[in-house]
Amino acid sequence: MKPLGLYIHIPFCKRKCNYCDFLSWGNTKKEDHTAYVEALLAELQYYADQDMLLDSVYIGGGTPSLLERDLILRIMEGVTGSFALSEDAEITIEANPGLLDLDKLMAYRRAGINRLSLGAQSLNDEILHFMGRIHKSNTFIDNFYLARDCGFENISADLIFAVPGQTVELWIDSLEKAISLGAEHISFYSLQIEEGTPFYGLWEKGAMKAVDDETDRRMYHEALKRLKNKGYVHYEISNAAMPGFESRHNLKYWSMEEYLGVGLGSHYYINGTRFSNETNLEKYLRISKGVKEGREVCNDPLSYLAPWVVWHHKNTEVDEISEFLFTGLRKIEGISLSAFEERFGKPVTAVYENAIGKHSRTGLLELNMKEDRLRLTAKGLDLFNQVLVDFV
Amino acid sequence: MDQYQKHIRNFSIIAHIDHGKSTLADRLLETTGLVARRDMKEQFLDNMDIERERGITIKLQTTRLHYRARDGEEYIFNLIDTPGHVDFTYEVSRSLAACEGAVLVVDATQGVEAQTLANVYLALDEDLEIVPVINKIDLTSADPDAAKAEIEDIIGIDASEAPLISAKEGINIEEVLESVIRTVPAPSGDPEGKLKALIFDSYYDNYKGVVIYARIFDGVVKAGDQIRLMNTKKKYEVTEVGVFAPGLTPVEQLRAGEVGYICASIKQVADARVGDTITLDNAPAETALPGYKKLQSMVYCGIYPAEGEKYENVRDALEKLQVNDAAFLFEQETSTALGFGFRCGFLGLLHMEIIVERLEREFDLGIVTTSPSVIYKVVMNDGSELMIQNPSNLPPQTQIHHIEEPLVKANIMIPKEYVGSIMEICQERRGVMTHMEYITENRVTLHYGIPLNEVIYDFFDALKSKTKGYGSLDYEMLRYERSNLVKLDILLNKELVDAFSMIVHESKAYARGRFVCEKLKDIIPMHQFEVPIQAAVGQKVIARETVRALRKDVLAKCYGGDISRKKKLLEKQKEGKKRMRQFGSVEVPQEAFTAVLKYDENK
Repeated sequence: MKPLGLYIHIPFCKRKCNYCDFLSWGNTKKEDHTAYVEALLAELQYYADQDMLLDSVYIGGGTPSLLERDLILRIMEGVTGSFALSEDAEITIEANPGLLDLDKLMAYRRAGINRLSLGAQSLNDEILHFMGRIHKSNTFIDNFYLARDCGFENISADLIFAVPGQTVELWIDSLEKAISLGAEHISFYSLQIEEGTPFYGLWEKGAMKAVDDETDRRMYHEALKRLKNKGYVHYEISNAAMPGFESRHNLKYWSMEEYLGVGLGSHYYINGTRFSNETNLEKYLRISKGVKEGREVCNDPLSYLAPWVVWHHKNTEVDEISEFLFTGLRKIEGISLSAFEERFGKPVTAVYENAIGKHSRTGLLELNMKEDRLRLTAKGLDLFNQVLVDFV
Repeated sequence: MDQYQKHIRNFSIIAHIDHGKSTLADRLLETTGLVARRDMKEQFLDNMDIERERGITIKLQTTRLHYRARDGEEYIFNLIDTPGHVDFTYEVSRSLAACEGAVLVVDATQGVEAQTLANVYLALDEDLEIVPVINKIDLTSADPDAAKAEIEDIIGIDASEAPLISAKEGINIEEVLESVIRTVPAPSGDPEGKLKALIFDSYYDNYKGVVIYARIFDGVVKAGDQIRLMNTKKKYEVTEVGVFAPGLTPVEQLRAGEVGYICASIKQVADARVGDTITLDNAPAETALPGYKKLQSMVYCGIYPAEGEKYENVRDALEKLQVNDAAFLFEQETSTALGFGFRCGFLGLLHMEIIVERLEREFDLGIVTTSPSVIYKVVMNDGSELMIQNPSNLPPQTQIHHIEEPLVKANIMIPKEYVGSIMEICQERRGVMTHMEYITENRVTLHYGIPLNEVIYDFFDALKSKTKGYGSLDYEMLRYERSNLVKLDILLNKELVDAFSMIVHESKAYARGRFVCEKLKDIIPMHQFEVPIQAAVGQKVIARETVRALRKDVLAKCYGGDISRKKKLLEKQKEGKKRMRQFGSVEVPQEAFTAVLKYDENK
């Protein structure tokens, strides 16, 4: 059986950032964290008899590093108690600068966590403040070195560009600082002003102007140029890594490989079916309690629904194919023609003859038979949605 | 006068929109016991949704009421309701011709309005007795004395005895009925004479065929009679006659003085034209009743199936509408931009709006309508004349000697504080004032000669907007006048889109061109390339806007939890694309067609 990825969601932060629409809360209490981890352990325990092998684990959020050291250790114990881990498993934890210390980092290492994803977002204090981050530029730098000292050899830095008020120069300055620190992996996201966030409120009132698309793309292309110059491989729309440091876990999402998710609101994809978990914290805790007390029947999650699941959808062949393209074309290398044909029993060119023709002509898409690839061109990456509307 | 005629009263109600005509009609029905209050929907007589929403009557509804009067006698009232809009003047005049009197409803808070006045004049033309009624006296702002004074000053009839009523509250409704008995004469006419019956309305019924609404002036008509329509010269056999009680109620015969319906297996309403005279084929009357007119379409537009809508569905719906609307014309046409569709003719703007709304609502059709146009008289260099109502059919400028456009006489009644701003909008629309009269201290009527193509564009919206809804307008055809007109074309990405073409006065071309370009710039989404939007007269570009090229359309993040949600967003984006019209390489949302016609306060 092919190894799975496992995502673990931690829905707590010290405070919520101004742009964030993730499932997470600021200003929570330690008791909440403990109760949540108890529930999480019940969900991990639920899979104990499944003989599942993992080759990636991703503890994300929210801010996992907000939790006390021991809670993370207990989660990792829960993981190893329920699943077999491949020898080279990639185990990532997301951490926010300002919420790390030697003690925590050493514990993560001991627990087998070998990849750290640091939410730097910017290395400019004004921008950090504007975004509602709790840390300063120096905090990130300090935490980065501390992690190195603790033996983390695979560190990713998350950066955000196209923040209102940010110039191209300011952005490049942040990026170059992250590069010069030697981060193995860099994610660089164009800021999206999401509904329900403080930024959205400001924008709606006209109090904040979004960065125009021209500037946004200048920032993006300048970033790509600099990353490539320093030896990074641009491997997904918003991700670049030194060779061999591409995120195995995230690549599963873009390659339609199977992954399991535990925790509040997490999603997973197994056996051609997409699932999502309960998003109401109280209900989530109640379900876990029921499972622990034996009131909820434990079924085989591969063929039945786990009790935390609130939504699932068995993909049709059309769903599978369109998601394969929709996720796969996010990768710079695109999709393999032969892999597509092997998976779906027909060539992609037969399924999407018109769409491929149309977007090849306008120079957004490239079909390369010799290299066995269908991929977006540089221009196509900027206009991803324009292309993909014809594939969904 | 025959005995039975003494107890008949045939009358209409005349009122301005919102002055309570329909509510009063409802109250009359209720008072005479025809419809129990609990069974009534608001405004029983207006039974089309659109009418209900707009609070105006378009289609006539006629009802027979029985009323035991204070003198102890029982009377039959034939209440002939009339449409309340300027586009339907002819229908109104024929309905009035079927009556001996008219109840004039005046809002005690607003006084006499332009449309009321127009209809009162129509009634006076038909020698009708006017029964003034002051409505809405329950409102605190009511000023019945002022309303009476206005009636006396403006119309010149005695209003001292006018009942003060509230149709809404049901106050003094019986007074209206008693006034009608006192003031409106009983019908006369000879039941032994040769049949003369006036068609004042008709509609199509699936089982009975066309149901003709008729007023019998002389003679008698009954089932089995061979009838002849004197103007169209068509002949039919009567299958049923009856009265409106208010549903169709068959009777043995209809006699002189009565109002009722006649069915004769007629296939479409256009065959039983309003204003025509019915007589017996074997004993015809010598002359038809006066006043027959053929309907003339004044406004035209293209109606096309929207993306995803079937041409046949639109055609079927248009056919169904035409069966019931003799004034509505359509024929097939083709547009390069919009494909197969129809050129449609209407009495006026409101008529057009009603048809379009009915297509969308009753028939649930997706349609695209093009800019409304009037009929232009194009005089060619060789002296020949063409009547053109589709801008795309305009011959090349070099072959045209000159163009004439229809001019209407517009009567605009407004509170005096708006005179300045209304004169301004009239002037902007090339109106020439003939005179202005103070009808009361505070109310003014402006008389304008104004090109119809300015009126159909956005004049009515502008008038309503500038006068906070208090302005009213009626217009009638005056004459054709030579004018400096040009065809304004719109080009998207250098390609002409014929559906946007319009004929405008040369002095307006620049402003209109710029307006359309600006509107389209806001509506057309960004493409992968720059889309120039140009307005041109002949080869000359007079306005230009550019929709910038799309530089970025990408989701920054897509991880495990985002896939389903983000895919949905893309599917939504795809749906939006489906609703677009493709013109060459440019995709245009359907609403673009209506948006370029909308009145814009700031322009």
